[in-house]
Amino acid sequence: MIIRKTKSVIPGFGLSFGVTLAVLSLVVLIPLCSLVVFSAKLTFAEFWHVITRERVLSSYYVSIGTSLIASLVNAVFGLALAWLLVRYEFPGKKFIDGVIELPFALPTAVAGISLTHLTTTNGWVGKLFDSLFGIKIAYTPLGIIVALVFIGIPFVVRSVQPVLEKIDIQYEEAAMILGAKRGRIFWKVIFPEILPALISGFTLAFARSIGEYGSVVFISGNIPYETEIAPLMIMSKLQEFDYASATSIALVLLTLAFVILSVNAILQSVVSRRVSGLA
Amino acid sequence: MDIRKNTGALKWTLIIGCSIFLFVFLILPLAYIVVTALRQGVQAYWNAITDEYALKAAWLTIVATLWAVVVNTIFGLCAAWALTKFAFRGKKLISTFIDLPVTVSPIIAGLIYVLTFGRQSWLFPILDKFGIQIIFATPGIVLATVFVTFPFISRELIPVLTAQGNDEEEAAALMGAKTFTIFRKVTLPHIKWALLYGVVLCTARAMGEFGAVSVLSGHLRGKTNTLPLYIELLYQGYDFTGAFGASSVLVILAIIILALRVWLEKRGNKELDISK
Amino acid sequence: MSSAENKVEENYVELRHINKRFGDFQASRDVNLGVKKGRLVALLGSSGSGKTTILRMIAGLETPDSGEILIDGKVVNDVPGSERGIGFVFQSYALFRYMTVYDNIAFGLRVKKTSKAEIDDRVHELLKLINCEGLEKRYPSQLSGGQRQRVAFARALAPRPQLLLLDEPFAAIDAKIRLELRSWLREMITNLHITSIFVTHDQDEAIEVADDIIVTDHGGIEQIGSARELYTNPKTPFVAQFIGNSIVVNDYARFQFFHDVGEGTKAILRPEFIAVFKKGENKQFLSSAEEGLVEDVIFRGDSLEIRVRIHGFVLSATRSINDPMIEIGETVDVFVYRLFVIKGDTIELHDNESLKKESVVI
Repeated sequence: MIIRKTKSVIPGFGLSFGVTLAVLSLVVLIPLCSLVVFSAKLTFAEFWHVITRERVLSSYYVSIGTSLIASLVNAVFGLALAWLLVRYEFPGKKFIDGVIELPFALPTAVAGISLTHLTTTNGWVGKLFDSLFGIKIAYTPLGIIVALVFIGIPFVVRSVQPVLEKIDIQYEEAAMILGAKRGRIFWKVIFPEILPALISGFTLAFARSIGEYGSVVFISGNIPYETEIAPLMIMSKLQEFDYASATSIALVLLTLAFVILSVNAILQSVVSRRVSGLA
Repeated sequence: MDIRKNTGALKWTLIIGCSIFLFVFLILPLAYIVVTALRQGVQAYWNAITDEYALKAAWLTIVATLWAVVVNTIFGLCAAWALTKFAFRGKKLISTFIDLPVTVSPIIAGLIYVLTFGRQSWLFPILDKFGIQIIFATPGIVLATVFVTFPFISRELIPVLTAQGNDEEEAAALMGAKTFTIFRKVTLPHIKWALLYGVVLCTARAMGEFGAVSVLSGHLRGKTNTLPLYIELLYQGYDFTGAFGASSVLVILAIIILALRVWLEKRGNKELDISK
Repeated sequence: MSSAENKVEENYVELRHINKRFGDFQASRDVNLGVKKGRLVALLGSSGSGKTTILRMIAGLETPDSGEILIDGKVVNDVPGSERGIGFVFQSYALFRYMTVYDNIAFGLRVKKTSKAEIDDRVHELLKLINCEGLEKRYPSQLSGGQRQRVAFARALAPRPQLLLLDEPFAAIDAKIRLELRSWLREMITNLHITSIFVTHDQDEAIEVADDIIVTDHGGIEQIGSARELYTNPKTPFVAQFIGNSIVVNDYARFQFFHDVGEGTKAILRPEFIAVFKKGENKQFLSSAEEGLVEDVIFRGDSLEIRVRIHGFVLSATRSINDPMIEIGETVDVFVYRLFVIKGDTIELHDNESLKKESVVI
């Protein structure tokens, strides 16, 4: 990669770029390469065999399924929360705004054990649900969903909020004068404006949830074929020193994350081209 | 602005619905930690958090966090400087790689280090000769922590620097100022709050990292356990007071961090408004 | 002659004693105005004069603190903007970015649940009207500024409103295209016979496009009338100065033949009130002309602007380019025909007294 730079008057390129590249290589690039190199050692047959084993496949389903549902829940509530914070005034608004970022600040393991304890059949919430609805939360896929909802709360809210804040009120005024009532104004005028941000937030939450470990591993109970998540599979392979399998499973997850993020990137650029007229 | 009504049934339905949602998913777990930690009395709580192993674990967490903050601050500043002050090919590529760690599962983050520095890698014989042990030891934990918090600071700095433009730095350079002077006197005042904000985020994430560290740690009590790992150990040993006691410390830290974050954001926005 | 034509024409839009404040700022101060049906009226004033507020209150985007707004004889204060049957064109058009041109124009019709076939006809009819046929599948970002403005116009007209409101419709357009669009808009609206009110700060625009002009200043209405009326018979100092070129002199009594009429020493002069002659050029005003020194001569294409210093003032006068040249530094004869004397809130037109004495034909 030849790096050509137009002569800049500002000094410090050499140093900053050098440090950047050095640290980036050491921390990110080289370790990632190891992954690629190592997986190249496996024959495709071996790779395929590992990732299509029943237990591994079901761990993918569990991870993807629960992540999808949790992210959808977060999309709905995230939108509601963003709307609340941008459009309304009410007591306690500042509190809600601050508390939303709790999942970022709290260690995943702490969240994990707390949610687990709360939702076992002896816990406050678990007892309630068990006696009222006969629904068990901890140690079931439902528990995993609960944990993933927890860690995903901030993604959609923080993604939608800034966009909602910047919407020009004139769009709404124009629609109103043309006779539209609030529902129509929301769905036809406001929603298209925030949809890209909504998708972006959803995607981030989704990608994050698939790889989530700490908050899920306690509440899931790790029951094979039922609540075993893919990251856990990687972990157990590592503990068995079965690096080949661990790498294979990891590669699938990485590819999945890459696909999800690429789809999002493409969607965003399609939308922005439509809005800025470069199509 | 008559068109945006701030009253009505919809408003209160949303507020109540969201409040319940937040209460169940956020407040309840927090409260539960505190309650369970104190269930066996204050004395037991105190013993738990001053336990020798707990303190050692806390210390390791602090060490790893500090390293992560220092390394990522230096990296973040250099990367932000290189990416925003100059034009060159490959900017997008480098940017993408910098942001990559955030999207990678923590377990995979740990895995790649195991593959790079572990027994079966080509580096291992070299390291072994020098007596350096990376995985299953403190250096590995530090590396994992650095990885998962890698872009936090650069991601805060880059938008601010991009929005601000290069005019002031160019003016200073034309007057003959050297790199560090320009940075210190011209750039730093503008990015003060963004930098602090990034450091706070980095600290929060570093302290709480679990998955990546779990892979790289040898899980040796008192030696290679960070606080989150220690909590896991206690929990699996059914020592709930211990586990939740240590957790409560992290919860208090989390709340402090949240408060700091809100305050810094406000300060940062004020500065932005003033400079406009 | 039917009896209907003998009736005094009612106002289609009327504002009575309208007041509106935003916090400490009084945007509208006892505003009273009327617009007759089918007329094209400009609300003219500088920024902060209250003109946009008036427009927005008529549209229902703001509610007045007191006073009544009537449309077609009915008080509409409590009628929401979405039900007032108004078309509104925003300054920045506010075209829905995520909808095609077709969908934008069809929006108001879809709200009314018009049939698909009717919508199709109407949209195509409008596209033809605004000369944008073939653009229906495009998105607003793919249109030029002038096209966007016309689509915004079409969108507002689609549901056949009885009243069309435009908020500085040409503000966001390049100067070149602006002139074309102005005449296009005037033609359109005249052909459609739709009562229209538009807001502008540009007096040339108001003069060219509107039938009547409402001049606003500091939240109040200064004067209402046609361009010609406002120009020849301004009722307030503000209107006299705002419309057309003018100079304020603060001691008009220095000029001979204009005696102090009491109450104020200020007066407003228009270029056409002044004639500049080379020494010896004009014999008629020899006795009543006064001397001045030419400070500047500016070529204005079809005329010359002469800046003369006289009695300590610098006045602007127009002179034909066909007349003998005048140089800078030349001493010339200046004759002031008339001036507007400022008397408190009103102004009076005073002729040069020597005109009454001499029986000269000017």
